Amino acid sequence: MHEYAFYLGCIAPNRYPGCEASAIKTSEKLGIKLLELHGASCCPAPGAFGSIDLNIWYAMAARNVILAEQMGKDIALICNGCYKSIYEVNEKLKKHDELRDGVNEVLKEIDMEFKGSINVWHLAELLYDPEICGVDKIRDSITVPLSGTKIAVHYGCHLMKPKKERHFGTSEHPTWIEEMVAALGATPVEYRNKMLCCGAGGGVRGYDLPHALDITNEKMINLQEVGVDALTEVCPFCQLQYDRGQIEIEEKFGIHYGLPVLHYCELLGLAQGMSPQELALDLHAISCEPFLEKIL
Amino acid sequence: MKATEKKPEEPRVGVFVCHCGTNIAGSIDIEAVQKYAESLPNVAFADNYQYMCSTPGQNKIIDAIKEHNLTGVVVAACTPRLHEPTFRVASKEGGLNPFRFEMANIREQNSWVHMHDREGATEKAKDTVRIAVAKASMLEDLYPKSVPVEHTAMVVGAGIAGMQAALDLANAGIKTYLIEKDPTIGGRMSQLDKTFPTLDCSQCILTPKMVDVGRAENIELMTYSEVENVEGYIGNFDVTIRKKARGVLTPVEAEAKGIVGGGCNGCGDCDAVCPVIKPNTFEMGMKPRKAIYIQHPQVVPLIYTIDFDSCIKCGLCVEACGDKKAIDLEMEDEFITVKVGTAILATGYDIFQIEKKDEWGYKKFDNVITSLEFERLICASGPTGGHLVRPSDGATPKKIAFLLCAGSRDNTGVGKPYCSRFCCMYSLKHAHQIIEKIPGATPYLFYMDIRSFGKMYEEFYYRIQDEGARFIRGRASNVLEDPDTKNLIVMADDTLLDRPVNLEVDMVVLAAAVQPSEETDPVRKLFGVSCSQDGWLLEAHPKLNPCGTTTAGVYLAGVCQGPKDIPDTVASAEGAASAASIPIHMGEVELEPYFAQCREELCAGCGMCVNLCPYGALALVEKEGRKIMEVTEAKCKGCGTCGGFCPGGAIYMQHFTTPQIVAQIDAFLLGGEE
Amino acid sequence: MAKTKGYPETFEKKLKDTRMEADAQHPEFTEEIERISMTIPHMCYQCGTCTASCPSAPRSSYRIRKFMRRALLGLEDEALTDPDLWLCTTCYSCTDRCPRDIAPTDVIMAMRNLAAKRDIIPVNFLKTVQAIYKTGHGVPNNDVNRAARTKLGLSAEPPTTHGYPEFIKGIQVILDHYGLKDRADKIVKEMEG
Repeated sequence: MHEYAFYLGCIAPNRYPGCEASAIKTSEKLGIKLLELHGASCCPAPGAFGSIDLNIWYAMAARNVILAEQMGKDIALICNGCYKSIYEVNEKLKKHDELRDGVNEVLKEIDMEFKGSINVWHLAELLYDPEICGVDKIRDSITVPLSGTKIAVHYGCHLMKPKKERHFGTSEHPTWIEEMVAALGATPVEYRNKMLCCGAGGGVRGYDLPHALDITNEKMINLQEVGVDALTEVCPFCQLQYDRGQIEIEEKFGIHYGLPVLHYCELLGLAQGMSPQELALDLHAISCEPFLEKIL
Repeated sequence: MKATEKKPEEPRVGVFVCHCGTNIAGSIDIEAVQKYAESLPNVAFADNYQYMCSTPGQNKIIDAIKEHNLTGVVVAACTPRLHEPTFRVASKEGGLNPFRFEMANIREQNSWVHMHDREGATEKAKDTVRIAVAKASMLEDLYPKSVPVEHTAMVVGAGIAGMQAALDLANAGIKTYLIEKDPTIGGRMSQLDKTFPTLDCSQCILTPKMVDVGRAENIELMTYSEVENVEGYIGNFDVTIRKKARGVLTPVEAEAKGIVGGGCNGCGDCDAVCPVIKPNTFEMGMKPRKAIYIQHPQVVPLIYTIDFDSCIKCGLCVEACGDKKAIDLEMEDEFITVKVGTAILATGYDIFQIEKKDEWGYKKFDNVITSLEFERLICASGPTGGHLVRPSDGATPKKIAFLLCAGSRDNTGVGKPYCSRFCCMYSLKHAHQIIEKIPGATPYLFYMDIRSFGKMYEEFYYRIQDEGARFIRGRASNVLEDPDTKNLIVMADDTLLDRPVNLEVDMVVLAAAVQPSEETDPVRKLFGVSCSQDGWLLEAHPKLNPCGTTTAGVYLAGVCQGPKDIPDTVASAEGAASAASIPIHMGEVELEPYFAQCREELCAGCGMCVNLCPYGALALVEKEGRKIMEVTEAKCKGCGTCGGFCPGGAIYMQHFTTPQIVAQIDAFLLGGEE
Repeated sequence: MAKTKGYPETFEKKLKDTRMEADAQHPEFTEEIERISMTIPHMCYQCGTCTASCPSAPRSSYRIRKFMRRALLGLEDEALTDPDLWLCTTCYSCTDRCPRDIAPTDVIMAMRNLAAKRDIIPVNFLKTVQAIYKTGHGVPNNDVNRAARTKLGLSAEPPTTHGYPEFIKGIQVILDHYGLKDRADKIVKEMEG
């Protein structure tokens, strides 16, 4: 059993708890134990906080890392935004002595010290890594293949970019999450400009919602062009943007899509036989019914 | 050779401190250094001057030698790499052996790097002078060794640079070996359709030179051959060439084997029956060739070649060849060693693997091609007879995007940081060809700058803009593909209009960066030539000696030294040929006498030094009944390996003897002001 | 900056002298940006790859290339007061593709930090700060979600600062170290009256 401290973030536990539940259950079936991490806060949201003061961003992210250091476990998380905060800050503080010393000065006030003793992983990369799990193991674990469905992948931005500071290979034409989708029995589908941002990040969703929605709409148009049954992603913030966003697009721009948006953990849950109730899919703004009809 | 007897004399050293304008005087107190020099033991005279390298400066040395009966000269100035020869000549004119001169570098290694520490710099200069005086007190008369120069040259690479250099050398009466790895000469220029800015047909202007090379009496052309090993030194290089097994005999070779009227005449009957098909690299893989092939109809020499890696030895070609008996399927590589006086490297370039910049989709999207692939497509003798077609469906493209600076001017560590120099111009040329050949077609050039620097180049840019080429000043960030039509969408920022651009085009041509050809690295290592920081071959001096290298007798021609257009390539080839011919015409070169010498009375003849020598310059010989070591001075580079090793202390390095070095160390550590 | 011409207000605005002059260029601004962002905007050669990669550029007047130019030239006031500064989604496509190996996204973040020092922060960011100060989360839990969590067999409150509120104090200490909560409250009050 590979054990990790499960860093939750905000949107997954507080808006899409099905992601949290399925992550824990499906990972366990695949040999990954996600342990409770106590007292974690917002990562903090890199767009919101980093924009105001990077020093506070470093300090707050470091605090979250230290909670796992105290557990002596690496962190696993399920959100690209959290990945940027927790992974990047962990790497940067390990590398830059001055930065680390500055952060530890502040953390002294709460009796905490960043030691740089753990690593941070996105659950998707752990699932893909054949040494930890791998697509074959995923395939072998499913009981409800998602056959007959066409699913497109939204990689998001902070997982893959900037590629210099990441280790996932090309950020222009990646295919590894499509492989993971195929392992669930679904047919992964490519679409135009798939690496385009969802529009939510950097605080833009809060700053100028119509602008953010216009970016989302460009993606929706490209998805509609190829005709998919669902969109999957590995970031609850992207999920929020696509899910709530389709409602908002309908309200503001008068366009209806009705495309179900599911986190990969939710798809994996369905494929491993979890019910829509166990995944709290009814919390989704866009009904997942059309997609569920095809697989159940 | 017996060691030169040291004259038992009192050393009298003259020290000259140079101001070099303000270069040295700006950081160092010249007067103080001179005064200090005067106080040193063995110094008979000291002086200073604004520019020691000037005529009056040199005259000071000449006069002082005579007036003060000097036995050694120290000039404290710039680097010996610049003016050691100058002051050695001056010393010689003063009547002193030129190797009794020692230079103290108080500029590059002192005043130029300690500009804000006058006190520290002056003290350091005093130390440097003290050390130099200690050595100068112990210098001896030495005599350069003259070696004869073989009246033969070699040129490696037979593209336009190598061909031009070989022709110049041949016309100067020098027998020249021209070595080419491909089965034919001609290089990159024979792959081009038209050349800028004149729009000459490339093969039309090249083939006359190819024919000249093939016919020149003084050129021994060795195609399908590579340099295997290089031994020796300037004037006397022993180069081993691997003549790769061609599998086909030339008429001369056939006659030597007793086959009358035989040998390959280029008829192509073998090609017609060969069952093996491979991509033709001359056509950038866009046209097939057989296992037995010529790359194109105008090859020189017109001899077929068998690619033994793909030949299945079915023998059908042998049958088809008939009485000419030109094919020998059992042919093996042959090794030939020749002696040459000088060599020129002209190994050319390859295109960078632009698929590494995956944002532009090369090798992913069918209709994204490189500029060299474009040349073959647009060339009338190319795979499509000069019709530009889309790889995906064979349709004629109407909207073609040219992405400039693809992989060049790139500091990400993936591409090349340098400018590839000729891509702006050939992209203009390509735009012209589109407009001329395809009615209704529009070329779009996505650029950061248009570098039209040469003669008639700016006028060419004017012309192409006038002809209707569309220029968008913005580097293309990425390319998307429409999966149905295979059209491409180029994303860029029109920085002049300040609007993002999404242009759907039928075809994208990447003006990809260039890099040294694959064979350049092994060849340069064999000849002992260094690489520059950017990967191209290192010239002796970027401004004053762009065709030479720091390895005596080896020169550079063409793009292997750095990207160039055809005019500059030919000019550099002519320059290299001229430089390479000088030692040959002079008939001899002088080698600086930094040789190892064996003190026979101390040599035990153990022979351990012989294997240590990286240049094979040492040998044990029989002399007066015992074995002692002998140095072949012409091979010795004075590296000091043997001298440092000899357990009996029998070997000493001329001009860098152990007593001299110890004196320098002692002077530094033990001398100096309290 | 524009010099006043003494015209009536409408003309003053319409006809203001927009020429860039030396006094608008602050080299310390460039240095500060480079220090915070740890990248090299002074090396930008305006190729436009960044703007071409940008999701916000086609649908607004936001131009990352222009912000890079402002960073290079030290045009502090222009950069920090431009409302477009907040339209960057931090997707990092520009950083991924920049041929000069600069990280334009980080330059934007540095500029936002400097704008924040002048109390120029859009209200949505400050609301996030307030939420985090109060609960530890930028997007806090709510009753609908608590019910859903319970139904799923999860604890009503996740094991974060929600489930372990004693950790909120630590977060507040960090935020108070920078005085961020008070500033956020102040600015929100000013904006919303």
